[in-house]
Amino acid sequence: MLVIRRHSGDAISVGDEVEIEIIECGVNRVKLGIRAPQHISVLRREVKLTRDQNLAAAQSMSGAARPGMLAPFAGGKPS
Amino acid sequence: MTFNSAHLGRIEVDESSTIEFPRGLPGFEDRHRFLLMHHPANEGLVFLQSLETPDLCFLALPARSIRDDYQLAIPDEDLEVLGYPHGHCPEIGKDVIALAVLSLVEGESPTANLLSPVIIQTHTRRAVQAIRTDDRYRCREPLVVEEAVCS
Repeated sequence: MLVIRRHSGDAISVGDEVEIEIIECGVNRVKLGIRAPQHISVLRREVKLTRDQNLAAAQSMSGAARPGMLAPFAGGKPS
Repeated sequence: MTFNSAHLGRIEVDESSTIEFPRGLPGFEDRHRFLLMHHPANEGLVFLQSLETPDLCFLALPARSIRDDYQLAIPDEDLEVLGYPHGHCPEIGKDVIALAVLSLVEGESPTANLLSPVIIQTHTRRAVQAIRTDDRYRCREPLVVEEAVCS
């Protein structure tokens, strides 16, 4: 991993299309500005993790992945 | 009305038991209406069935049934969706239901997402998947499966 020190107002280029600017530095938070073309997805890591996990969870329920779990469902009641 | 779920078959939908995700869920941003149903053989387990996509259904467990001391940390933007002021901390069981979405990938141990619980406001039935910004719980928290769930 590349580790570099930057000040507020400094920026980093990633490839030709992505630029990350350090807008503000606080005590334990930094504010970043990210400029990237539309085809590059920019997500907070926890959002990406959640998204991937939701897709896997939905996938795991599809088809007959869990027939035993769903079989006794007849007569289930809404809460 | 009745709804044909790809997983659960034909189910009765009582409008008052539907929940609404105004912003959808990460990965499913355009799915807003879900039905919350208890598993008949295992009261703890709940299904979150999309009312817009018959084959979209999540299985979930109350966060406190996985960690009995589970504490909420809801970002302000998610509190807004639920109708709470910034910094508010709703109470699990009284104000909100907190569910952890389960992932049951074939050949892998089941996991629960405690990083991003689904929070349902019990009165308005508005819901949001509130992603924590701390690292107190994991996105793939290993789950000990009881025999009753597997059989």
